[in-house]
Amino acid sequence: MNKSQGQKINRREFAQRAALLSAALVPAGIAFSEPAAAVTTGDAQLPEGAEKLTAESRVEAEARFQQLMSQYGTRFDSEEQKSIRESCFGLQRSLEKLRAFQLENGDAPAVYLKPLVEREKKPQSAPAAGAVPTAAPKKP
Amino acid sequence: MLKESILYESVGELAKRIESKQLSPVELTEAYLERSQKFGPRLNAYARLMPVEALDQARAADKDIHRGHYRGPLHGIPYAAKDLLAVKGVQTTWGAKPFADQVFDYNATVIEHLKNVGAVLLGKASMIELAGGLGYNSASASLQGETKNPWNTSCWTCGSSSGSGAIVAAGLAGFAIGTETWGSILCPSAFCGVSGFRPTYGRVSRRGAMALSYSLDKIGPMARSAEDCTRIFAAIAGHDPLDRSTLPVDRAAFTYSPAADLKKHGLRVGWLANLWKEYEPGVAKAIQAAHKVLPRHFSSVKDAVLPEGPWEDAAGVILQAEVASSFGDLIRSGRVKELRDPQGRIGGYANLTVSGGDFTTAQRVREILQKKMDALFETYDVLAAATLPAPATPLTLDLSKGLSFPDPLGAIGNLCGLPAISVPCGFTEKNLPVGLQFVGRAGDDASVLQAGQTFQHATEWHRKHPNLS
Repeated sequence: MNKSQGQKINRREFAQRAALLSAALVPAGIAFSEPAAAVTTGDAQLPEGAEKLTAESRVEAEARFQQLMSQYGTRFDSEEQKSIRESCFGLQRSLEKLRAFQLENGDAPAVYLKPLVEREKKPQSAPAAGAVPTAAPKKP
Repeated sequence: MLKESILYESVGELAKRIESKQLSPVELTEAYLERSQKFGPRLNAYARLMPVEALDQARAADKDIHRGHYRGPLHGIPYAAKDLLAVKGVQTTWGAKPFADQVFDYNATVIEHLKNVGAVLLGKASMIELAGGLGYNSASASLQGETKNPWNTSCWTCGSSSGSGAIVAAGLAGFAIGTETWGSILCPSAFCGVSGFRPTYGRVSRRGAMALSYSLDKIGPMARSAEDCTRIFAAIAGHDPLDRSTLPVDRAAFTYSPAADLKKHGLRVGWLANLWKEYEPGVAKAIQAAHKVLPRHFSSVKDAVLPEGPWEDAAGVILQAEVASSFGDLIRSGRVKELRDPQGRIGGYANLTVSGGDFTTAQRVREILQKKMDALFETYDVLAAATLPAPATPLTLDLSKGLSFPDPLGAIGNLCGLPAISVPCGFTEKNLPVGLQFVGRAGDDASVLQAGQTFQHATEWHRKHPNLS
């Protein structure tokens, strides 16, 4: 079985992968002061539309791609890698627009999960006479 | 042998024949089965036909009706369910090779509801693999292969409820059940010239349905008329204690009302003239003609404009993040490589990199949009526009190039969980159907269905059907 397919990896392999990942991510930090040097992977062309992204976003997209390659890169041929890189830059374009949207601190996320209490409307039985609470309510 | 015209009748018309015992459920089921066996494979419309089970159900319906236990307009009506709905003991493939042998030991709630009203399950409708959630660029992205459009078999039905669209359009069943995360009911309905209804999020239980995107997935009917959609929706809507995403009992349930009752007041229509940047000429012509019909039958028709914002981006990020969870195991394990479409094999990886912070930002944008849309529906009861700017596309089309235009109303409608219907409104010069969509306020499914019915009382497009012979 290919180790990249869900099998546990040993400590050494983990260290190698972590090093690969950090190698991909460290330039991102540096890049904020020197973006031009960090936006390419070797001689890879930027995906279409990437030039519209900020330098920081380009670095983030590239780091996203590198993270995936460090974890799953052996699964893909060069064409697939190219497509995944394009997906990462495509996602980044959406994220850049989203992050630019004006939100106030109090603008909460849409909540679709109903709290569990809705299901628990059964009347509670009255405590037996003389019963005492097992614990006194705590003050905040 | 039943006449073909009977097989194209609406659920309402078939129900009258069954209730009056002019037509038996067994007779009708046999006729649909025969037609499905003949045309289903040609169209790739079914993942699986279930003749034995269907005839058993039809015989039970016959017996009930003869005993005087008529259960209502769906009793004895054969239908097909998209192959992502669990049917006890029957393969449910989700249209995808990694799940080709999957069998559940229970029925999806929707299947149970339809069983309870006596509908007859003919088979499972083909679909795009995993409802297209991991991306796809070709019509053949399905375990069953490309589903062909009954109006022109060199064209596609659209996805992901591909088989459901083909089955209704070809008269292979009385109706079908589809699902939509983003466009998967409305697009096949428009391409196939059928009426397809996407209910408000939370009105129809999703228990037993494949989960793609927990906050976007909806289940709805695809049928021969808006009135049929209303009848079917009434049967499948309702709170489900086994699906906590369903609305409370009083807000989830829907009671069928005949068209006359629905038309107690006229509807105010907001016309989205500039929804699509470009229209194919044949679509533009049909939509202009539909626009002219509306003022005679609706209380007002005024131009409307959608709020501006990064709605498609928010919908995309939410979808990607939720798919990273719903199919994260498939992606991480590498089994995603078994999918048929090359894009599907790799499209999910980028989803794994969406951060919690960005997902939450998208959810906050979603909340703002919900408020904006709610405000817009103070002025209009329904918004109306072309369902799509193009008719059915060729089967061979690279979808990344030919069907990849911005879809702001699709994003908004699905982000906000708004009900919508697509109804046929004409044909292009190549005889391909064109769809008109009505979208309403969350929870106001009645107005959307009323809009569809009103339009169909004034037009005959929904009565056209393809010549398959």
